[in-house]
Amino acid sequence: MTTLLDRPVPVAPPLVRDRRRWAWALGALALVGWALAASGLFSGAVLNPGGVAQFGRFASAALRPELAPEFLAVVGESVLVTVAYAVLGGGLAVLLGAAGALAVARTTWGRRRAGRLVVRGVLAVPRGLHEAVWGLLLLNVLGLDPWVGVLAIALPYGAVTATVFAGILDEVPRGGFDALLAAGAGRGTATLYGLLPQATGSLLSYAFYRLECAVRSAVVLGLIGAGGLGYQLSLSFTSLRWEQVWTTVYALAVLCLAAEAAGRAVRRRAADPRAGAGRDPVLAGAVWAVLVLAGWAVWFLALSPATLVSARAREQLGHVLSAAWPPATDRDLLAAVLAAAVDTVLMSVLAIAFAAFGAVALAGLVARPRSAGPVRRIAGGAVRTALLLLRAVPPPVWALVLLFVLLPGVLPGALALGVYTLGVLGRLVGEAVEESDQRPREALRAAGAPPAAAWLYGTVPSLAGPVVALACYRWEVAIRDTVLVGLLGAGGIGVLLSASTASFDWPAVATVLAAIVLLGLAVDLLSERARAALR
Amino acid sequence: MTAGERVAVVGASGAGKSTLLGVLDGTVAPTAGTVEVHGSDPTTLRGRELRRLRARTGTVRQQLDLPGPLRVVHNVNAGRLGSWSAARAAWSLLRPQGAAEVLAALDRVGLADRLHERTDRLSGGQRQRVAVARLLLQRPELVLADEPASALDPALADVVLTLLGALAAEQGGALVAALHDPALALRHCDRVVGLEHGRVVMDAPAASLTVTSLEGFYGVTR
Amino acid sequence: MSALRAARSGGPAPSTSPLPPPFSRRALLAGTGLALAAALAGCGSSAAEDRAAPLRIGAIPDQDPEVLQRLHGTLAGSLAAGLDLEVEYRPVTDYAAAVSLFRTGDLDLVWFGGLTGVQARLQTPGAVPIAQRDIDEDFHSVFVVNTATGLAPSDDLGPLAGLRFTYGSETSTSGRLMPAWFLREAGIDPQGFPGGPGFSGSHDATLALVASGTYEAGVLNEQVWSARSEAGDVDPAVVAYTRTPAYHDYHWLLGPRAVERLGEDLPRRLTDWFTGLSPEDDAEVLELFGAQSFIPTEAANYAQIEQIGRDLGLIR
Repeated sequence: MTTLLDRPVPVAPPLVRDRRRWAWALGALALVGWALAASGLFSGAVLNPGGVAQFGRFASAALRPELAPEFLAVVGESVLVTVAYAVLGGGLAVLLGAAGALAVARTTWGRRRAGRLVVRGVLAVPRGLHEAVWGLLLLNVLGLDPWVGVLAIALPYGAVTATVFAGILDEVPRGGFDALLAAGAGRGTATLYGLLPQATGSLLSYAFYRLECAVRSAVVLGLIGAGGLGYQLSLSFTSLRWEQVWTTVYALAVLCLAAEAAGRAVRRRAADPRAGAGRDPVLAGAVWAVLVLAGWAVWFLALSPATLVSARAREQLGHVLSAAWPPATDRDLLAAVLAAAVDTVLMSVLAIAFAAFGAVALAGLVARPRSAGPVRRIAGGAVRTALLLLRAVPPPVWALVLLFVLLPGVLPGALALGVYTLGVLGRLVGEAVEESDQRPREALRAAGAPPAAAWLYGTVPSLAGPVVALACYRWEVAIRDTVLVGLLGAGGIGVLLSASTASFDWPAVATVLAAIVLLGLAVDLLSERARAALR
Repeated sequence: MTAGERVAVVGASGAGKSTLLGVLDGTVAPTAGTVEVHGSDPTTLRGRELRRLRARTGTVRQQLDLPGPLRVVHNVNAGRLGSWSAARAAWSLLRPQGAAEVLAALDRVGLADRLHERTDRLSGGQRQRVAVARLLLQRPELVLADEPASALDPALADVVLTLLGALAAEQGGALVAALHDPALALRHCDRVVGLEHGRVVMDAPAASLTVTSLEGFYGVTR
Repeated sequence: MSALRAARSGGPAPSTSPLPPPFSRRALLAGTGLALAAALAGCGSSAAEDRAAPLRIGAIPDQDPEVLQRLHGTLAGSLAAGLDLEVEYRPVTDYAAAVSLFRTGDLDLVWFGGLTGVQARLQTPGAVPIAQRDIDEDFHSVFVVNTATGLAPSDDLGPLAGLRFTYGSETSTSGRLMPAWFLREAGIDPQGFPGGPGFSGSHDATLALVASGTYEAGVLNEQVWSARSEAGDVDPAVVAYTRTPAYHDYHWLLGPRAVERLGEDLPRRLTDWFTGLSPEDDAEVLELFGAQSFIPTEAANYAQIEQIGRDLGLIR
């Protein structure tokens, strides 16, 4: 003990715990506990060892994908279709998002909170429904038109992008903006000069992140007939041709990797702009590349704006709307919707808990270290590849193969979503680690702290906030994704949706869709509160 | 440098003060020449030996490196991680270990009442003092300080520099402080080293210098 | 207002302008407007009503869809040659999507299952059945069980009621509708299996899930069962329990818009072409459908399916 501290010690102030944070943490724990109990994990057998052979067939096919030239040619062409849909869908989403952001930003509304709330409620509709659901609805109006795939991505993504863009605009330091307002500038001018210049980097980063996601969504859309890789995957999947399934999964993984590498390059540049004036060649090149690709995609898919306003589209829209109005409100259906909604929440909670736990556990390995030995590099590469494959295999495929080794119930569906979400969340958390401030950890290392302790005191504290935010964001996505995995005895609102669409019971479809939107909105509000409490 | 010596490093912004301190604590690799700290070259050591050597050098950096969401008690305890096992470090996050010593250290910098506060709720000057308290618990022989008093009022600046000097003296080590305030440098240091464009242009005992003679380093002309 | 200012704000530039800009905003706007107007004018005669549009054919993704859909050139080619028509194959992966696209007129001639065919016909007034395969007028489903259940083949469906059970796709006639009907006839609630019935999504998935033991019993299309058994692809853990009585299943359905477009005699020409396919000359096409020949069919053949569909809530 140093004599410097050898003085009478004052009375320690009482430890005051933040009640709100504890309440949220306990609430989250209780929710996960309830979901685990409902999954039957504590109350009986959930494993089905007999299915290991079937699962093995799926897994071992990974080592011998179908490489016949004819099939590779089919896959090659499908890749082009998928890229075209992703670029157009993602690009249109960014445009819609930019327009929507101004409509939903706090900056626009100022103190008029009611107006902002209304716009947010309106945006909850496109954003609350899964791309595949949008695809199904649009198909009924537009028929077999490439617009179906493009809009099915652009509408929900546009709404999400609008919310995120608005968030970025609202959180930019407002000194310049306020100064311009005080100097008599209008809101528009003040935004243009006071806010946009500071926000450009973040906006660009997010726009490219959306393009990456659009690649995966374009595949899910293939499952409902928009063509491309997802279409080939779903055909092979229906007949359980696992070798072919893996070939398409690998093609998709390569596509995702390319999109992610491009996205990361753009984000790096946007976060750390080059010194000096003039345009950054990387950023300008990326924007031009997207524009050129979009032009090519319009030509490749033969997209024509005329379809959107054609008499036939109007007629079919009228048909669907008149069939769906008024929504079904019979007691049986409402009771079923309520029960299914509870199942959906439990399933999504399990999925997110699994994914978040896994992502945090793997985060240290996923992040690319600045300097490391060969073992660490190889391990990191292996984990990153595994995560890439987890998110390249669509949730419905996971649901079936997990059902081989698990008994029917909420668990296989939840785990299927969890595994897929782990692929996405693992990467996002890894990136958050890479982008987090390394200096506190390095300072502790410089003071002689062992690596684990330096990580615990230097990195973890400032990472908790972003990880919770990412998990909340994926939770909302998982709620929408449950419609993809509900069918196989897993339950949830997806079962009702698929039953009502299969029998063309449009009033019931309307009711179920409304329930899904409300559920998404509730989760969105809840996670917003949670994040505020943890800030 | 001799035991118990207190050295002030002065120079205009960008002259290389922070880099010199970084080389000394091993976070910046020298582009030329060799470093010798406590009798060994940190660039040749690895693992536990390097950690032991590093634990003997303590630094208060300009940007402080205190994770904001962590409570003050943990950030101060982080000074002792070099002598703790990882398990103890983890457990301490739930039940703070050695809270009495943390309290004593905080008391020396006048922050005893902030023990359980979140660090990002403190002002810049308060955080600077938390970093000093962390150093008190690390008990390094070589104390490096990069502008340790930049956000403090004159009275507190004196308290902090006196503490750092005493800390180094008690462990039989030395203090190297980069300072912007000539008066502070002359009051608390025995020797002043002047830097210009990364080169040493002056090395003299503090007694032989005046505030006016040091102001030249900061481009102040009278 | 200066000329420059006027040009910038999109207003008419005063004639005093010293140098007219090469591309004024006004010209650009006018050009865009013209292009839009042209596009809008074109949409009055959308593809669906275009006389020159080809015959668009499709198929529900039921049995070996990847083979059918990737070899569609065979069918489209011979149909085009046989009828001297332009034929285009449009891929679909979803039962409900196929029905909707038939309704919207994006698909003219579709290979439907029994139930989806009825759904499509009810939603598309004027649609007519064209042909079915020889095996479709005497179609069966097979109930299969995992050997671990210890059940010996029997005509009594009763023991299935206590097992974990999976159907195929929700609107599959052979994998859902007819088996559910025969279960109900035998006094078993078709939705009442322990934990609720599963919907595997396809006949092959049903086989795999019953083989794994996740579901102890399931039901699938007899044609798939026979094909997989002959090829030796069926896991020994799966055995046939019983097969259902016969019913009508798959058929080609023609939409009214194609008839308007391509002539009143189109249904007859199509029926003649299909029924005229012979194992000697058209082996490729017949093999694709796993049939010896196609035979005529009529809407009345599916009255039972419609009734059952209504009873089970699959047709509204």
